[in-house]
Amino acid sequence: MRPYRTLFTVLALVALIGSLVAPAPVAGQATQTPRRGGILLAAIGADAPSLDPHQETTFATMEMVAPLYSSLLQIDPLSYPKIIGDVAIEWKISPDGLTYTFKLRQGIRFHDGSPLTATDVKATYDKIVFPPEGVRSVRKNAYSAIASVEAPDPSTVVFKLKFPSASLFSNLASPWNVIYPKKYLDKDPNYFKSNVVGSGPFKFKNYTRGSTFEGERNPDYFIKDRPYLDGYKFYVSTETSVRAAALRSGRAWIEFRTMPLAEVDAIRKTLGDKVVVQETPATGLFGIAMNQTVKPFTDVRVRKALTLAFDRYTAGRVLYPLASLRDVGGLMRPATEWAMSEAELQKLPGFGKDMEKNRAEAKRLLAEAGYPNGFKVVLKNRNIKIPYQDFAVFVIQEWRKIGVEAEHRPLETAAWFADGRDTASFELIINGTFNYMDDPDLFLERYTTGDPNNWGRFSDPRIDDLFARQTRALDPSERKRLVNELEKIVLENAYHIPGLWWRRAVVHWAKVKNYVAPPNHYSNQKLQDVWLSED
Amino acid sequence: MRTYIAKRLLLIVPTLFGAAALVFLIMRVLPGDVALLIFGGDAGGHIDPKQLAAMRERLGLDQPLWVQFGTWLWGVLRFDFGTSLWTGRPVVEELLIRLPLSLELALAATMVSVIIAIPFGMLAAIRQDTWVDYVVRVVSIGGLAIPGFWVGILCILLLVIFFGWGPPLEFTPPWVNPWANLQMMIWPIVTVGYRQAAVTTRMTRSTLLEVLREDYIRTAWAKGLRERAVVIRHALKNSMLPVITLIGTELAFLMGGLVVTETVFTLNGVGRFLIDAVSHRDYPVVQALIFLTASSFVLVNLLVDLTYAWFDPRIRYR
Repeated sequence: MRPYRTLFTVLALVALIGSLVAPAPVAGQATQTPRRGGILLAAIGADAPSLDPHQETTFATMEMVAPLYSSLLQIDPLSYPKIIGDVAIEWKISPDGLTYTFKLRQGIRFHDGSPLTATDVKATYDKIVFPPEGVRSVRKNAYSAIASVEAPDPSTVVFKLKFPSASLFSNLASPWNVIYPKKYLDKDPNYFKSNVVGSGPFKFKNYTRGSTFEGERNPDYFIKDRPYLDGYKFYVSTETSVRAAALRSGRAWIEFRTMPLAEVDAIRKTLGDKVVVQETPATGLFGIAMNQTVKPFTDVRVRKALTLAFDRYTAGRVLYPLASLRDVGGLMRPATEWAMSEAELQKLPGFGKDMEKNRAEAKRLLAEAGYPNGFKVVLKNRNIKIPYQDFAVFVIQEWRKIGVEAEHRPLETAAWFADGRDTASFELIINGTFNYMDDPDLFLERYTTGDPNNWGRFSDPRIDDLFARQTRALDPSERKRLVNELEKIVLENAYHIPGLWWRRAVVHWAKVKNYVAPPNHYSNQKLQDVWLSED
Repeated sequence: MRTYIAKRLLLIVPTLFGAAALVFLIMRVLPGDVALLIFGGDAGGHIDPKQLAAMRERLGLDQPLWVQFGTWLWGVLRFDFGTSLWTGRPVVEELLIRLPLSLELALAATMVSVIIAIPFGMLAAIRQDTWVDYVVRVVSIGGLAIPGFWVGILCILLLVIFFGWGPPLEFTPPWVNPWANLQMMIWPIVTVGYRQAAVTTRMTRSTLLEVLREDYIRTAWAKGLRERAVVIRHALKNSMLPVITLIGTELAFLMGGLVVTETVFTLNGVGRFLIDAVSHRDYPVVQALIFLTASSFVLVNLLVDLTYAWFDPRIRYR
């Protein structure tokens, strides 16, 4: 009975809207008047290990608690990657780039009724940049330029820098850096791992570990008439097919992270116009790390051969429907301000489009390095099908064409981290990087000497120098030049094999309005502008 | 009898100790480290070696193994299983959230399986080698052969495809809203119950067949008793002992949680908790869950042994 009624309502609505306004754009950001009310039901693929985003790296924590908090700056929910204020209403950066002064909005209150002032912002950033003993701060390195945070008066926050930093401003818009009230942090810096006191558009309502997470509307939110929703509720299910079934049966109306295209098609087939699919590129790059402390990967010729033999362009076509991996690019996301031009990229080993030539060159290099008949090697991987294993299967058969026999060894997440990042007990390993925005600091630090995410353990002083210079380069065009130069060194020496850039497909019911999917599943989760056209 | 009970109770101590030691060691042998995983996650954060060392110290992972084991064992004796390394909450608290669901699933599935298995097992035995027997055998072999998760996913997909209906995604305890509870639990119960029924049906059938060939049954027939009296009063009672043992151990097994079924049906139960804990290297949780499952097996076995001893005095003197 219910599906028909819903269908009828939708049809009526479509007819009505159709007669009044032009067809809505894809994401449903129509010129309709937002409707107040309703609880947004969402499916989520993991549970949060803790509720403190400062200490976590998983989207599960972010998606659940983002609506409960505010941050200093934010990435514009409706237009990534534009940065706008959140708690900060205006700001000034000194000409030498060493002092950032933020004026805070007046009258913001935490959900416990206490006012949000500059001391809370200072306490928050002190926790992130200079974490006390026993408190982890996973993104601390992104703020290494900060010398001190000061709160000269209740509505002013000043960041003093050790050196000018090109990325700091955008890193202050990190969705992870939610503002906590100081008085709770003073009592226990780990208080927010299991408690919530925020100032966001929603208040914490209920959390059943491993099952559901709920927030309810904050009537005292500092932006008038927001949020539109009465609340939101996440259902945790680790099974993709179950989340897809939940969307199809209307038990959930949105899955924020991403859905494999096969499921997307099935959902679209059942629900037709009732669902909207927002497909975006994603700020995630999957690739292969080569352990450069062991033979034969100490030899640049071998590394180059492996990257040359991998047909990226075919991979993008084959893997896209399976694993959502599609775009060929360097170390910065293609088609962004930081990316190299295609012409430049195609000159680098492995990015040329003539695969016959690439393979011949790869074989020649292998023979020169003393492996005329190729070699056997173990490729370690994470035992997650999408996209890790699909990607590995493709790469392995590419390498076979030049005589390299790679044995695929998928590992459980813990072992994968241990072997790849911690102990370097691997020859080749699939790994990826996923960040909340296209920032060179976030994406390139992993290629510097001794960085924990430099799984390949290579060291090139030129890269270290270029990284340090680009992070201080305040002129964007100069910075781009340095970034591209760094990229070229990594790619020409085949220190790392970048694979493909991921894409994101967010499926939601058409009644979920005003959610614009950014190219990652970390930002734009505050839901203050989202509304439902019906319950 | 009293000495027998005392002996059996004493035997529990080394058994449980052995189980505890084994679980403890296996978890430590696995590669990977919870401290690293806490810093890791899916974005690959930057890790400060000093922070990592501090974290290991805070979690007690820098202590020698025997100290860690001793501390844990002492806690277990006081029913304190420590705190989860992953969530920082007491293991018992985390467990209690999930236990009602797993218990309901285990008990209801066992009940369903008994209701299906005993009559059909009996029918198959009495009508051996007729079409009834064949149907029962085929269906029960199906239950053994088809993996539970597949039946589960099929259930969900068929409901969604044909009725546009999916089971609720959230567990409501039966005492809060029985109807909502039933909507969610019915399919997992049927899925698990089917598999259990398959096992029990086959056991009922074969033991009943054996008993039906006994001399005293022939005597009962010879006395001119009706079929119902022969089968139910004479044969069934005597054939039930192994069946009850089987049901008991299966129940103990089910109480340890059903990893796959719980995952497929988004049930937040003990089984899923265990599998998550293993992948997070959350030692205290894994140790507690395996230890408790082992304990429930030991307990059920003890009860079964005692029941046997009660029925059959010869066992006591073995």
